[in-house]
Amino acid sequence: MNTAQQTARVGLFFLLGLALTWVTWETLSDGKLFKQTGYSLIAGFDNLKELKQGDEVRMAGVKIGSVERTRLAGRRAEAVLRIDPGVKIASDATATIVMAGLIGTNYIGLDLGSPGSPVLSDGAELRTKITPDINAIMTELGSLGQKLEGALGSITNTVSGDGKNPGLFQKLDRLVTDNSAKIDTTMTNLASATDKINKSEGTLGKLLNDSKLHDELVATVSEIRGAATDAKSFVADAQILVNQVKSGKGTLGALIFDETAGNDLKVVTRNLRDISEKIAKGEGTLGKLLTDDSLYLSAQSTLKKADRAIDGLGDSGPITAVGAAANVLF
Amino acid sequence: MKQLTHFLEGFGSAVQLLFQSARFAGTLPRQRARFIDQCYLIGYTTLPIVAILCFFMGSVLALQSGYSMENFGAKQFIGSLVGLSFARELGPVIVAILVAGRVGSAITAELASMKVYQEVDALVTMNIPPARILVLPRLAAVLVMMPVLAIIGNLIGWFGGAVICKYVESIAIEPEAYFSALRRYMKFKDVGTGLMKAEIFGFVVVLICCSIGLNTRGGPREIGASVTKAVVVSLISILVLDYFVTKALM
Amino acid sequence: MTHPIHRNPITAVESPAVGVTIDGLTKNFGTFRALKNVSFSVEPGEIFVLMGPSGSGKSVLLKHIVGLEAATAGRVLINGQDATAEHTLERIRIALVFQAGALFNSLSVYDNLALYPREHRFGDESTIRDKVMRALQILSLENSAQKFPSELSGGMRKRVAIARALVMEPQLMLYDEPTSELDPVMSATISEIIATLKDEYHVTTIVVSHDRELALGIADRVGILMGGELVFLGPPANLRQPADPRIADFFHPRIDLKNPRFKNLET
Repeated sequence: MNTAQQTARVGLFFLLGLALTWVTWETLSDGKLFKQTGYSLIAGFDNLKELKQGDEVRMAGVKIGSVERTRLAGRRAEAVLRIDPGVKIASDATATIVMAGLIGTNYIGLDLGSPGSPVLSDGAELRTKITPDINAIMTELGSLGQKLEGALGSITNTVSGDGKNPGLFQKLDRLVTDNSAKIDTTMTNLASATDKINKSEGTLGKLLNDSKLHDELVATVSEIRGAATDAKSFVADAQILVNQVKSGKGTLGALIFDETAGNDLKVVTRNLRDISEKIAKGEGTLGKLLTDDSLYLSAQSTLKKADRAIDGLGDSGPITAVGAAANVLF
Repeated sequence: MKQLTHFLEGFGSAVQLLFQSARFAGTLPRQRARFIDQCYLIGYTTLPIVAILCFFMGSVLALQSGYSMENFGAKQFIGSLVGLSFARELGPVIVAILVAGRVGSAITAELASMKVYQEVDALVTMNIPPARILVLPRLAAVLVMMPVLAIIGNLIGWFGGAVICKYVESIAIEPEAYFSALRRYMKFKDVGTGLMKAEIFGFVVVLICCSIGLNTRGGPREIGASVTKAVVVSLISILVLDYFVTKALM
Repeated sequence: MTHPIHRNPITAVESPAVGVTIDGLTKNFGTFRALKNVSFSVEPGEIFVLMGPSGSGKSVLLKHIVGLEAATAGRVLINGQDATAEHTLERIRIALVFQAGALFNSLSVYDNLALYPREHRFGDESTIRDKVMRALQILSLENSAQKFPSELSGGMRKRVAIARALVMEPQLMLYDEPTSELDPVMSATISEIIATLKDEYHVTTIVVSHDRELALGIADRVGILMGGELVFLGPPANLRQPADPRIADFFHPRIDLKNPRFKNLET
């Protein structure tokens, strides 16, 4: 081979290497080292959590920029976002930190804002919203469960007696048993039977008219209802999370792999189950006692829903969740 | 003790050779033809084997990680794993090992035979230092060619991973997903670190092989012994240096 | 002492001839004593033939003169400068014709010869070409210019090696066994070249050989090494009737199986 040809090959080979290096550089650093494109916005948060430089900024799921840097500014943390040129962001668009990956990857999610509002310019500050921390929700649910348990315990005591004093139903029972012969034999004598019952008005009336006990019961029930509503809203939130996971927003990925969150969830689930079981056991007593059957039923169905939802979370398993999450991630 | 003395002697003569060659760096423009020749040998003719090996290393890496990462549902990160491990570690090390095996051994064989057949002595009597015309062009050529080989090796390795991910049924990840995962957790710094490592490894390998070749004593039988020694010392040096260079560049 | 003028065989440039002094040279390889306190000097413009049986240290001595080996004791001076000093080779052009030629196997014959002038920038490519072709003509090698050393016979390699030495325009020329492997005609040619170089150009020449014809034919003075010791130093005429039995044995070996030398052969 002649020298010129060899020189040409070596030269081309070297140029190929340079070109590939350049292409790799451009691809991996988004060409940031060459030029600063787009404009920057500032998003202030109480806590940036695991957000770091280079994380993505997405609007309605579409990547529109990246986190240029993070800094402390007085009593808050600020993320400086570099937004791609040509992307218009409405001034009422809200930024949230969204967890997207299994290993603590976050991005800043922006909603679209309202169509008519003015467009943010370079250096402007974004509206932000604190995202509910899943850990906080779990802790609240846990204490709620304990409260429910206490309330139900006192109801049971009142109704079934606490060992020393006969409970309402023992009394009723005794009443009916004591008088059953008489009731049988004096069926014809309804008036006298009615009279007798009328005479024992004191006992039953005591129950029915004891306003303090009644009030307590009502209060407990409303508390249960409140708890149930809370639970319902959490479940709804959870549903949203699941939906997001399924629809590929990938929010839950972190939850699945976050051990403390998982454990919290398990504890809550167990508590909820205990409560519902207790309610189920006391069904005869409570159901008969409570004229408002529908309240009980609604509470139970709510709890069951929560149960199902939580079971559902368990079932959906890491692979699907992560699969869905990753589909959008990548 | 004797081994230690040998090691220190070898190390010393390599360093000495480096300085001798560096002293003649100014003569490089005049040695353009030799430099191009060495570039051709070190870079161009090594490319096919680098390409083949990197392709299959990338494939195997993707296959193995696909198999093991499936257990915890992290298949989507194969791209990142292959990308990072190739750029930071495998690419430079594989290329350096191939250069040691293919180019280094040839260098040692050539210089050892020149030494044994007194060609090196002839150069010395002609007042042409061997460091100038035998070592310097090779060192310069390896410095220029190593990063080129390493970047091509990297890209081919990544590509090999992508092919496996697409066509192996148990993994089945589209190339777009693979490459976006690869990009997601990698900066150019990772690739740059790899290229720097390749540069250092290649340079050290060629220096070692030149030094061992030129220090061959005895008859033709010693040529073979020198080649074996050069390759073994090169491989050990690559892996030992790898640790320290990686730490230093982290 | 007046230094005869050395005239370059190719460029005809004149420069003073070079003298070599070997002073108490001793060389040990491990426990083996290759040279034992050897001292002699080679006058400028002289042909000095160093003889001796194989393994007597002739080649080692030659390597000391070009600075390829460092002495254990003693020194070699070339024009008063230490042969091992780095600048000696820069100031004095010394050519060594190796026994096996030591041609650069990766280069063609032409490039072998052109390497030295190119590396030392003797001139542009056409000047170098003229010199190289001239040297090839002297040794009747002009048809082999584009061949590679592996394509040459042993005798041709030796001639290429001598041609390569000539291109260096040496002031001091050293030959290691120049006529071994050569046919008698070529041997005669080599003898003639050595003599011509000396007569016409006053190149100081040291020849290591055990070719008696060559030694007695061209040598101004002869030295004989045996077992690392210089056992004879003088004009070749003194060798006709050597007094030392060792030298006599070297020059006129008789196969005498009763000689103690052959005792180990009987088992």
